[in-house]
Amino acid sequence: MIRKIKDKIKKAASKKPNARKKIVKAGVRLESAQEARKEVHGFQEMVVEKAKFSHPEITRAHGRRSMPQELPGGYDQDKIVLMVRDPWWLHTYWEVCWATFERQKSELGDNFHKARRVLRVYDVSNIIFNGSNAHQHFDIHVNEYSSNWYIDAGGPGKSWCVDYGLLLPDGRFITIVRSNVVHTPIVGPSWITDEEWMIPEEMFARLYGMGFGLGQSSPVGKAWQERIKQALFSGAMASPGMASMASPVKKEVKQRKFWMWVDCELIVYGATEPDAKVTVQGRSINLRQDGTFTLRFALPDGKQTIPVKAVSADEIEERTVIPIVSRETKTSNLIKEVK
Amino acid sequence: MHKGYLCMVLHGHLPFVRHPEHEDFLEEDWLYEAITETYLPLIWVFEKLVEDKVDFRLTMTLSPTLISMLSDQLLEERYLKHINKLIELSHHEIERTTWQPQFQSLATMYLNQFCRARDTFEYYHRNLVMAFKKFQDLGKLEIITCAATHGYFPMMDVCKESVRAQVKVAVSHYESVFGRKPRGIWLPECGYVPGHDEILKEAGIKFFFTDSHGILHGTPRPKYGVFAPVYCKNTGVAAFGRDLESSKQVWSSIEGYPGDYNYREFYRDIGFDLEFDYIKPYIHPDGVRINTGIKYYRITGTGNNKEPYNPQWARERAADHAGNFLFNRQKQVEYLQGFMQKKPLIVSPYDAELYGHWWYEGPQWLDFLMRKASCDQDAIRMITPSEYLSENPRNQVITPSMSSWGWKGYSEMWLQGPNDWIYRHLHASSNRMTELVKKYPCAEGLQKRALNQALRELLLSQSSDWAFIMGTGTHTSYAVRRTKEHVLRFGRLYEDVQSNSIDEEWLADIEYKDNIFPNIDYRVHQ
Repeated sequence: MIRKIKDKIKKAASKKPNARKKIVKAGVRLESAQEARKEVHGFQEMVVEKAKFSHPEITRAHGRRSMPQELPGGYDQDKIVLMVRDPWWLHTYWEVCWATFERQKSELGDNFHKARRVLRVYDVSNIIFNGSNAHQHFDIHVNEYSSNWYIDAGGPGKSWCVDYGLLLPDGRFITIVRSNVVHTPIVGPSWITDEEWMIPEEMFARLYGMGFGLGQSSPVGKAWQERIKQALFSGAMASPGMASMASPVKKEVKQRKFWMWVDCELIVYGATEPDAKVTVQGRSINLRQDGTFTLRFALPDGKQTIPVKAVSADEIEERTVIPIVSRETKTSNLIKEVK
Repeated sequence: MHKGYLCMVLHGHLPFVRHPEHEDFLEEDWLYEAITETYLPLIWVFEKLVEDKVDFRLTMTLSPTLISMLSDQLLEERYLKHINKLIELSHHEIERTTWQPQFQSLATMYLNQFCRARDTFEYYHRNLVMAFKKFQDLGKLEIITCAATHGYFPMMDVCKESVRAQVKVAVSHYESVFGRKPRGIWLPECGYVPGHDEILKEAGIKFFFTDSHGILHGTPRPKYGVFAPVYCKNTGVAAFGRDLESSKQVWSSIEGYPGDYNYREFYRDIGFDLEFDYIKPYIHPDGVRINTGIKYYRITGTGNNKEPYNPQWARERAADHAGNFLFNRQKQVEYLQGFMQKKPLIVSPYDAELYGHWWYEGPQWLDFLMRKASCDQDAIRMITPSEYLSENPRNQVITPSMSSWGWKGYSEMWLQGPNDWIYRHLHASSNRMTELVKKYPCAEGLQKRALNQALRELLLSQSSDWAFIMGTGTHTSYAVRRTKEHVLRFGRLYEDVQSNSIDEEWLADIEYKDNIFPNIDYRVHQ
């Protein structure tokens, strides 16, 4: 059990959010992660919601926009907050005032410097926690600069509380701040079925399967649970914060992404008396005040005959110019053999 | 005689983006695009259904931030400017595509659509909320509310005062707009934590929605799964669970309808495709290419080669898909009826902006669906949650499970490396707001103004959209900026109120910028 917890701690330690930089380098890995994400619950909802905000970044380089000043580093308080990310994972952040540490320092003397900063995670399911009646607990060692942590609690359907404190060399633990209590949701149907509403197992199972759109014959419930679990624990599915867990990339033939496209447009422009009537390909056009005009056409392959006719205001004179333009497009693609 | 019910829900929401201090602000386009591509096309569908006497039922969220923007004079004027630019661009496009008839007919289609958009916009005196209200008053549409600024409640669980403020501000805002209280609420991102129903009850809310596992993993087991609503233990607020099968058919771009090769391709826009000098007047003034809304291609296939869009083919597919959707619901209901002693209810919620903006043919599909459901069959009856509850008041009592409809079904989208840093600031601000309310229970004058503004800033900082955008990892600077800006403004108000040194000029400036919820009362934050 202890080893298991230790492993968890190791994992947790490697899942710090600042692992994000790595993902930039591991571009391929991220891509496969994104591919894999498509199978996960809520992925399409994310794609659609993202499309609502479909815009390129306007950076400072584009001027006119400035970032507001930085937020305060802290709020001068002793506080730890625990939040539920999903049935298995918790997140906590904390803040301890300078004065509080000073007080500990003077109380503990030399021991203070030997002590380790620890998050003590308690399972407080179904009890009123008094600091010593937890079902069990495990410790996560954090360094003194950490101020938040993702905790792999590994227990859906439980209640949790966490202390941030000092673990002294003699094994004593001194709590500095204690968090709120949170409850992780269960990941399957409840075992509680009240009498009045009894429901046959098999019928519920079918309802349950349909509820998830798994069809009538699918392995109900389990499939879902497995899917979520895999999604959460396999590196491929990792969120950016969990990049360092990603499994090694298999060697595959690299899909080349090089591309190019070319298109042509034709600008037809000219000038005449400002009060003349001008048609282009039989369609009358508006002149600018000075009698000039510009037309712009997408130019497909083939021959275009473009009669431009101007008629003087008194309809006595008429001039026609007919540009004839043809476009022919050839393409060739070459991929060199790479040894 | 019908065998079951279908409850279609569209969740309409955009974060509050309004920058009077800039003449042109890129992110305001989110609203303009949604007006042109989603809200107006939906209104056209409703208008035509009413005109043709089709008895339809639809449930729709209009989030308080969306309502505020749709009724804001500055944004209304800017929308007109925006649509006029598009009309101008489509005139140019008609000319430019003279030798490409397949594109020219599309350019003409866009011109007609944009002109119609402008006409309808003017017809409703530039306030589209009034259009939606009309259909609610006719009994066809049930408009529900949402959290004031779309705060994601599971991350606010340690600050229930803020959850309460989000709900109460939303309810009174709804009342001021629609002349009655909202019966239902869309919990932002379907984020539910047991106990939050107490706050809903206090505010007079009768029902909300959860994702499937919110109901299915409830305690005790829900007898009918997601196919009947449940009442939350202790409060009696009803929870409706999402049916994933029907959801998938519409949501999924891979196996769902929107991925059909005949439908319009979202990612090919002339804002990106056309020559720079030509398109420059219609993209961002700084020369950054953006979507214009004029898109000429259909999805075609999985590769990069795209064929021109054919509206007629797309329309036929939309009709087929609506028929298929309804057929599948009939099968689903027949199957369920076999072992349910009551008529099953299928709840199908979607982002409203999926329709039209993301899935261009979505409004047409909805139109076909409503017509077919109303005229071609009677196995399924479309219903709103309020109607359902008044006809089926007896429901099981359970405690739903914590859940969301976000990525992976819980809170990870809003709580991961790129956005977890915000919560220490949001929570600290919440606690400070509670402190202010306790300290100044009956403020007046300038102090009251500052306290009201403090609550506005706090609410604006809580929009889940900021964390969401940060979580997607792309183009995050605006979301970061907004979070910081509101937290900082709140922080300054907090200090100024307590030191009795409120700078009236500065206060007036942020009141002018963040002018949402003019009748807010800071005391709801307790």
